[in-house]
Amino acid sequence: MATGLTPNSDGMAAGTTSTNGVVPALAVTSVSKTFSGNRVLSNVSMTLESGEIRMLLGGNGSGKSTFIKILSGYHHKDDGGEIRIGGEILPDLNPHAAHHLGARFVHQDLGLIQDSSILDNMFMTGKFPARFGTVDARKAKQLTNASLEQVGLDLDVRTLIRDLSPVQKTGVAIARAIGLSDSNPIRLLVLDEPTATLPAAEVHQLLATVRRVADSGVAVIYVTHRFDEVFELPSRVTILRGGSEVLTTDSATLTREELVGHIVGSEVLAVVENTTTTFDTHAEPVLEVEDLQTPLVNGLTFRVHPGEILGFSGVTGSGRELINSAVFGATTRLGGVVTCAGVQVKANRPDLAIAAGIAFVPADRKIHGGFMNLSARENISISGLKSFWKFPRINRSTESHDALNWFQRLAVRPAGAISAALGSFSGGNQQKVIMGKWMRLGPKVMLFEEPTQGVDVGAKAEIYRQFAEASASGSALVVSSADVDELVAVCHRVLVLRHGHIVEELTGRELTVANVTRASLVDSSEDLANGVHP
Amino acid sequence: MSTSKRKLNLGMARFSGLYVWGIFIIIFAIWVPKYFLSMATASSIASGQVVTGVMAFAVMVPLIAGVFDLSVGSTAIMGSIFSVSFQTQYHMNMWLSIILTMLIGLVIGLVNGFVVVKLHVNSFIATLGMGSIVVALVTWECGGLQPLLPTSQTWGNLTQAFFGGGFQVVIFYLVALALFLWWVLSFTPAGRYLFAIGSNTDAARLSGVSVDFWIWTSLACSGFLAGFAGVLFSSQTGPSLSFGSGLLLPAFAAVFLGSTQLTPGRFNIWGTLLAIFVLATGVQGLQFVIQAPWLDGLFNGVALIAAVAFAVSRQRSEGRRKEVEQNQSISVESPSSFEEQPSIEIDESVAQDQGTI
Repeated sequence: MATGLTPNSDGMAAGTTSTNGVVPALAVTSVSKTFSGNRVLSNVSMTLESGEIRMLLGGNGSGKSTFIKILSGYHHKDDGGEIRIGGEILPDLNPHAAHHLGARFVHQDLGLIQDSSILDNMFMTGKFPARFGTVDARKAKQLTNASLEQVGLDLDVRTLIRDLSPVQKTGVAIARAIGLSDSNPIRLLVLDEPTATLPAAEVHQLLATVRRVADSGVAVIYVTHRFDEVFELPSRVTILRGGSEVLTTDSATLTREELVGHIVGSEVLAVVENTTTTFDTHAEPVLEVEDLQTPLVNGLTFRVHPGEILGFSGVTGSGRELINSAVFGATTRLGGVVTCAGVQVKANRPDLAIAAGIAFVPADRKIHGGFMNLSARENISISGLKSFWKFPRINRSTESHDALNWFQRLAVRPAGAISAALGSFSGGNQQKVIMGKWMRLGPKVMLFEEPTQGVDVGAKAEIYRQFAEASASGSALVVSSADVDELVAVCHRVLVLRHGHIVEELTGRELTVANVTRASLVDSSEDLANGVHP
Repeated sequence: MSTSKRKLNLGMARFSGLYVWGIFIIIFAIWVPKYFLSMATASSIASGQVVTGVMAFAVMVPLIAGVFDLSVGSTAIMGSIFSVSFQTQYHMNMWLSIILTMLIGLVIGLVNGFVVVKLHVNSFIATLGMGSIVVALVTWECGGLQPLLPTSQTWGNLTQAFFGGGFQVVIFYLVALALFLWWVLSFTPAGRYLFAIGSNTDAARLSGVSVDFWIWTSLACSGFLAGFAGVLFSSQTGPSLSFGSGLLLPAFAAVFLGSTQLTPGRFNIWGTLLAIFVLATGVQGLQFVIQAPWLDGLFNGVALIAAVAFAVSRQRSEGRRKEVEQNQSISVESPSSFEEQPSIEIDESVAQDQGTI
């Protein structure tokens, strides 16, 4: 609906205190936040003109999500600061006021209902246009089409969300946020890590959408972990660290190294290059997978040598996401033979896979990885309780000792907090605890699915360091990741999948981001024409 | 830095049951001192709660693994009837009857396990149905009549004999059982596995825990304990075809209330016992003030809901505090739109595979 995007100047509300006539879409003045004596945000100020895109960057604990949550009315800010949207003061803890003043939020999980159509989703948060108490289908369709057009999407409104590509889903969520507005103009759109789970190829499309929205006069705050986007979408960049603003500048003036430096601060970022290790290519392969069949993969064969780090790349739907879990037995293996160090591993039996020396770190820590309400110590020891069990009891002190040892080796923060519930750790530290659970078994093969998803830069470096150490100690690693930079940085060899088949094997000099990306994207219709089953 | 504060907070929350208990005792000691402050009252509260306590333990073991056992009431009925009818109708030795009865309880638990683990029926439904079947079979077996009590004194003395200062010996059984289960749940791998399964079944499976085996075992244990509760009830008050279902609610109330005590957020033995005696003291005291048969039910119902509401609110505030402390970005770790379609389909096919084998 076009009226939803009335330029800011038209919609200037009463109560404006601006002096020069142009009211910024968002004016934040020295906002702070203290949680039980712990200052997580201090004196952050930020002004956004309408139509401006602001990249907000920072590691975990930098204060960026607290900042967003204050804007959206989820947290109270400390006394003294002020937030104005379109010139009007935003009261604390009032999501309705934020909405009323024209602020919209799209969170990473999008909040779409998978089994409903685009149209139904569009009106879920608002009201269906109605006539005599029944839904006015024609009007609803018109409004939906108009909203989709705003973000540059051309889709049948009856399409189910589940049938959309990830980037289309994000687009629909944005369209829903900014479209269909009641009389108030939209002034501010906040996108909280919209690309965290998007395949690289689709990120471009999303950035184009964001550009389009901004061009229509909406100020956009764009929170991200991915550095590439900063350079792809010319904009202002604000970097937070430890709750304070470190820098606000034009993205064009920054180099990648500077950017990382500002985010990480004085903490030394163990740069990935020197973590690459070597391995003996003549050694017998420790993991052999023959003719693996999963719902998305049809006959996959590969081998991994001791000390080798093998990567799997491929866009969503290529089948990449299910290789590791099918090898381990976490998801269905329909066929094929998996052999670890000479032992055949039965399908769908994680316990036997573990016994054969395979470890698996899944992508979703909350759902598959860890026990969020159990202590870190219990999370670490669960993989091999028998070593602590001596009648009549589990030896707590050796168990704690072991957990502390892994906390130290993996630099888990807060240090020594082995009795804290896993859920109370940050994403990166949860991942380290889960890695500790496996590494204490000294596995022959470690399978990683999206090992650094939702992990901050510091923890990432630590995880890569552990990869190198595990590889040096003779473990074979298989890393499946949507992050091509990551694969290129840590792997000896990368297999690229498309439509359930390995289409490329890259090693040595050939192993570059460009090559991997190209291999995973080359026109898929070509394959279809050649009769390759999708 | 925040730990010292946290310990202090927990101190209040962890032992709130003890404070409430103290308050109950003081109130009723002042209100109705003549009745309340007597050895008889203390003894009757204590021995009167033993069967509830064993039932609560029976409920708790599978609940730790996230599995409901609603058949414990029926299994206890079975226990109360069979332990007597084996003796009076089939003229078996008392000890043999008891052992046989408890083994039947174990078998009921094993069947529950089969239905839950192998037939993939939701535990709530499976045990609800099993409970109904068990009562039907027991009623059929005994022809709807409660069997005659054994004439020998030993049967009653098994639970009602007095020891030291007028307490029935049955309390000793409860304490022994509590100690044993405490050991199993807190100090052995079995306990760890149950808690891990209850915390996150998928993660447990992916950590190599034999989820099916432990769920099955926990249900077998539950049936065995419920059978034991029936034996105790029968010895204490005689066989009954109806008492079991009435004990289901107090058992669940105690277990959930207990999970807010001592180690908040976890089902635990001592918290459960504490909850049982706090509730019983409250009910008993009020009974002295206003003799009302409905008090018991009201008290337990309110306690169950309040306990769960309390636990939920604690979790929520903790969740918020966690976000606060870590300042994590919202749901960074859920790759929601990224993987959900494949994983859903896969889960279904796994279920189908196992179903057809």
